[in-house]
Parts: sequence; C-alpha cells; structure tokens
Amino acid sequence: MSDVAEKTYNDFTLPPSVVSKVDVSRMVTEVERVDNEMTAAAVRNNNDSMEVAVPVLSQQLTDFLGQNDLKLDNGKLRSDLITQLRILKDKVPIIHMTFAVTADPTSLQELAQWVRANIEPKAVIAVGLQPALVAGVYLRTPNHIHDLSLRGILKGQHDLLVNELGALRGSK
Amino acid sequence: MKVFEDEKNFFDEDFRAELREHARKYFEKTIEENAAAFKKELDSAVAEVTTDLKTHSIQQLDGAITEIKGELREYSVKKLDERFVEYGKEMKDAQNSALESINHTATDLQEQYKQLSETLKKSIADQESTFNNVAKENSDRIATMKDSQDAALDLLNKSAQALQEQYQQLRTMLQKNIVDQENMILSAFEDNMAQIVEHYLLGALGDQFDLKAQLPSIIKQLEENKQAMSDDMKL
Repeated sequence: MSDVAEKTYNDFTLPPSVVSKVDVSRMVTEVERVDNEMTAAAVRNNNDSMEVAVPVLSQQLTDFLGQNDLKLDNGKLRSDLITQLRILKDKVPIIHMTFAVTADPTSLQELAQWVRANIEPKAVIAVGLQPALVAGVYLRTPNHIHDLSLRGILKGQHDLLVNELGALRGSK
Repeated sequence: MKVFEDEKNFFDEDFRAELREHARKYFEKTIEENAAAFKKELDSAVAEVTTDLKTHSIQQLDGAITEIKGELREYSVKKLDERFVEYGKEMKDAQNSALESINHTATDLQEQYKQLSETLKKSIADQESTFNNVAKENSDRIATMKDSQDAALDLLNKSAQALQEQYQQLRTMLQKNIVDQENMILSAFEDNMAQIVEHYLLGALGDQFDLKAQLPSIIKQLEENKQAMSDDMKL
C-alpha cells in the first residue's frame, strides 16, 4: 500500500459504487469521523495511532480505499486524505442525467462506470426525474444539452406528422 | 204627774228623733213633689216662651228682610241705571272711535289699491315688452336651428353614403378574413392533432420500461454522442 502523501486528488479513481457528488461528500464526512474516533482512541490509550484499530467503514469508502490502495491507520495519512478528498469534492466534474423513471442504484453504477471509462475518469452523475420524457435520458454536460429521450425523438418528427395530416386532409 | 211623766216618757228622745226623721222625710217628699211640679210648669213655660219668641223673631226678621229687600232693590236699580248710563256713554265713544279708525283704514286701503294697480299695470307692460323680445329671439334661434338641421341632414346623408361604401369594403374584407381564418384554424387543428397524437403516444408508452430495460438503449445513444460529450467535458 502506498502513502496518501504520494497521491493527490487527481490520482484518485472513483469506484462504481460512488455515483454522485453526494457520495463523495459522504466519504469526506466518514473519513473525518473515522479520523476523530481514531485520534481520540489513541489519546485515551496513550498509544501510537498506528496501533489503533480502524472502525467499520461503509461499502463506498471501502471500495474507494481498496481501488486507490489507501489505508487509514496513520493520523497524517488520514489528514492528507481528508484534504485531497475535499479538493476532489469541489472539483469533481458533474454530468446531469434526467430519466423518465426512478433510477435504480445498479443501473446508475453501470452508467457511472461507462461515463468514467469513456468520457471522464472522475466524473459523477447528478440524477433527475422527468416522467414526460417517456423513455431515454436527458443529459446535460457543462456546456451542452443532449436530449436522448423518446419525447425529443418524437418532437423532431413533429413536422413530418403535420405534413402527413395535411396530406390526409388534401386527399379527403 | 204620773201621766205627765208617762207622757214625758212617751215623748222621749228616741221618739222625737223618729218624729224628726219622719218630718224630714215628709218635708223632702213635699219639696221633691213641689220641685217636680215646678220643673214641669217651668218647662212648659219655657216651651211656650220659646215658641212665642220664635214666632216673634220670625215676624221681626221677615219684616226686616222685606224692608232690606226693598231698600236693596232701590239701591241696585239706582246703581244699575248709573252704570248703564256710563256704559252707554263709553260705548258710544268707542263706536265713534272705531268708525273713525275704519274710515281711516278704508282711505289707506284705497290708496294702496291705487298704488298696486299702477304697479301691476307697469309690470304687465314690462312683461309684455320682455315677452316680445324673447319671442323675437326664439324666432331667430329657431330659424338658425332649422338651418343647422338642414346642414346636419345633408351631412348625415353623405355619411350614410360613405358608410354604405365602407360596409361594402368591410364585407369584402370580412369574407377574405373568414377564408384566411378557416385556413388558419385548419392548420392549427392539424398542428394540435399532431400534438394529440404525440401526447397519446407518450401516454401509451410512459411507464412501460424501467431504467434497467432502457439501459442498453441509453448506453447506445451515449456511445453515439460520446465524442461530443468528451469534448465538452475537456473544455
């Protein structure tokens, strides 16, 4: 396992279980809590923090630590990790995705994985719900909008439908 | 002597006391009888005297009243005569004064009547003059109004003719607008019908697929737009 001091937020990779910016914020809070608990335990035991047992962690944080080869058993390492995670939380790129139905976690993880593999490695997803889309996704990147929903497709075919109706009236 | 003594013994002190008592009672009885007789006679005498006195008093009083009545009647008649004379004199004076006042008032009334008559005549003359002036003014106004009416009538005739022409123009324009509106409504209907068909399709297809079912299609579309998204994220 390497030291956190050797890694910056730019070197981190996000696991599929970390989907949104809220998940990143939650990881920051959890690492802060773990750091406080371990520091307090070390002071109470009058021992070196290296020997204090690490508390039980969430699945997201465990995945993140495992994927980035990180450990929390050293106070300085934890402090550096907290700093880098805070920077990551502020700078993480966000892609807004609006669906017609409620998004399940598995699908979101799959989508996050695809986005990180094909678009941006550290991107997170902000999820929205709009039933009028019927199906597909309404996607918004920092500067563009991509309407990949069924409603958007039908809207593009509106003039064609009007022409068909006009032709029908003309034939009558 | 013995008889004398027996007599002396017979008329002793007790016997004498008894005689005195007997005498006293007899005397009292006699006195009471006399007193009763006297009282009876006195009462009778008093009643008789009272009757006589009453009769006498009544006679005297009647005489006095008759005399006083005569004197009073004479006095009253005398006084009344005097009063009648005074009242007659005063009434005559009052009548004279009233007659004089009535005569004076009648004279004043005649003068006032004369003044009022003159004022009325003057007022009637003024009114007649004013009426003549007003009638003349009204006649002039009526003539002016008649001229105005003729001008207005002429103007109305011209306006009616202009309105008729405008009506014809509006009718033509309205017919053209109706045709345009009909075409516009038909176009709107077709447009709305397209929206209705779209809405129907959206409603019919909505909630048919969950995200897991859509995922392959979404990833396919993302693949098609991957380059654009990647470029945008790198900006």
